[in-house]
Amino acid sequence: MIYLDNAATTLPKPLSVERAVCRAMQSMASPGRGAHPPAMRAAETLFQCRCAAAELFHVSEPERVVFTMNATHALNIAIRSKVRRGTRVLISGFEHNSVTRPLAELGAEIRVAGRRLFDRENTLREFGREIPGAELVVCTHVSNVFGYILPIDEIAEMCRKNKVPLIIDASQSAGVLDLDFQRLGAAFAAMPGHKALLGPQGTGILLCGEEGLPLMQGGSGSDSIPQHMPEYLPDRLEAGTHNTTGIAGLLAGIEFVREKGTENIRKHERALLERMVRELENDKVRLFTAGEALQSGVLSLTVNGKSCEDVADCLSKRGVCVRSGLHCAPTAHRSAGTLETGTIRFSFSPFVTEAQVINACGILREIIFKES
Amino acid sequence: MTQYLIMCRSLTKAQSSARLLESAGITASVVKAPQELSGAGCGYALSLYRRFEEAVELLKKNKLLNGKLYSRSGGEGYTEVRG
Repeated sequence: MIYLDNAATTLPKPLSVERAVCRAMQSMASPGRGAHPPAMRAAETLFQCRCAAAELFHVSEPERVVFTMNATHALNIAIRSKVRRGTRVLISGFEHNSVTRPLAELGAEIRVAGRRLFDRENTLREFGREIPGAELVVCTHVSNVFGYILPIDEIAEMCRKNKVPLIIDASQSAGVLDLDFQRLGAAFAAMPGHKALLGPQGTGILLCGEEGLPLMQGGSGSDSIPQHMPEYLPDRLEAGTHNTTGIAGLLAGIEFVREKGTENIRKHERALLERMVRELENDKVRLFTAGEALQSGVLSLTVNGKSCEDVADCLSKRGVCVRSGLHCAPTAHRSAGTLETGTIRFSFSPFVTEAQVINACGILREIIFKES
Repeated sequence: MTQYLIMCRSLTKAQSSARLLESAGITASVVKAPQELSGAGCGYALSLYRRFEEAVELLKKNKLLNGKLYSRSGGEGYTEVRG
C-alpha cells in the first residue's frame, strides 16, 4: 500500500505513538479525579502533553492548551465563544466546513476575503479591506484541499492593529509549519492530533488566548460544588473524562515532531510534492501547484476526461490511497473553480518515501493513458 | 514532622507549580486536597515537608500562588498559615 492521504489522517504513526497508547491503556486511569497512581500517571501524561504543545506552539502556559476530540471540536468551542446571531465574521476563501457550518448554524454574517488560489497579494489586499468592518476573523493557516499557505502572520498583524479577534484553523499546519501563538496574538488556534502531529484519532488541541465558553458541561474533577464549569483553563473547557490513551499517543507524536523538526518535515514533504509534479506534468493533468512559500505538502489535481472519483477508485484498487471529492471544503473549491469536479488530493507525511511517490505516479500515468 | 499544603486552583496549576519547585530542587508532590479545605469541592494541592517558606516565595514570584496555605503536625488537624 502507498498511503498518500495524510491530510486526512497520517498513517502509519511512529512506533513510539503505538507503544504510548498501549502503555496508557494498560496503566492509566481517569486524570484529575483520584489521587492513586494510575490516576496520577494519567494526569502527569496530560500535563506533559500540554507542556510539549505549549513549547512547540509558543504558548505562555500549559493551562492554555485544551484537549479536544479533534480540530472540529476545538473550532466549535472557539467559534461559539465569539459568535452570536449577526456577528460580522470574515473568513478566507479556503475554509473547511468545520468553520463555515458552525458559523452558518449560529447565524453569523459571513464575508469571504481572498478567493484567488496561491495569490498572497490578493489575499492580503482583501483582508486589509475587510478586517476593519469585521467583529471576528476565522482563517485557515493552510488549505486542506490545495495546501495554499495563507499569510497568517500578516493577517494576524492586521487583526491586532484593528483589535479584531482571530481564530486560526491550524489543521493542516500544526506539525509542519511554525506557529508562534504568542506572537500571533490570536484568540484561539485549533488543531487535530491525528494529522501532522502524528497522534491517534480522537485527539485535538485548542490553544487559548482567552478563556472561552464551555461547549459542554459536566465533571471536571475540580470545584465540584458550583453548578457551572470552573472559571479557569483548562478545566473550564474540558468536561468529562479525557481521552488519556489518545493523549498519551499525541504526546509521543509531538515529541517525534519536535525531535525531527517541523522545518525538516516540511522540506521532506515539499520535496515529495515537487517530485510528484515533475512526474505528472503533461497535457492530461491539471496540477494545482505553486512555489514553496505558497504551498505545503498537499497537492490537488484533476485529470481531463475522467472523474476524480473514478481515478481515485482505480488508484485504490492498485494500492494507492488518496482522497477525491470536495474534501469537506466547498468554499475552497468555489474559490478555485473546482466545485463541479472536485479534485484528487495527494498528501504526504514524514514516512512517505520518494520511491513510493514515483511508484504512485507510474500507476496514475497508467490509469490516465492506458486505461482510457 | 510538619506537612505543609499549598492549595492550588487546578490540577494543571498544581503540576506547573510542582515542576517549578522541582527545578529549584524543592520536592513537592501533587495531592488531592482534603475536602474540608477545598471550599468549592474537589481540588488539588502541593504537599511538602521541607523548604516551605522558600517554596512559597518562589511561587509568589512566578505568580503561581493563588490558594491558601496550611500546615499539620503529627495527628493534629490543618491550621492555616499566612504566606
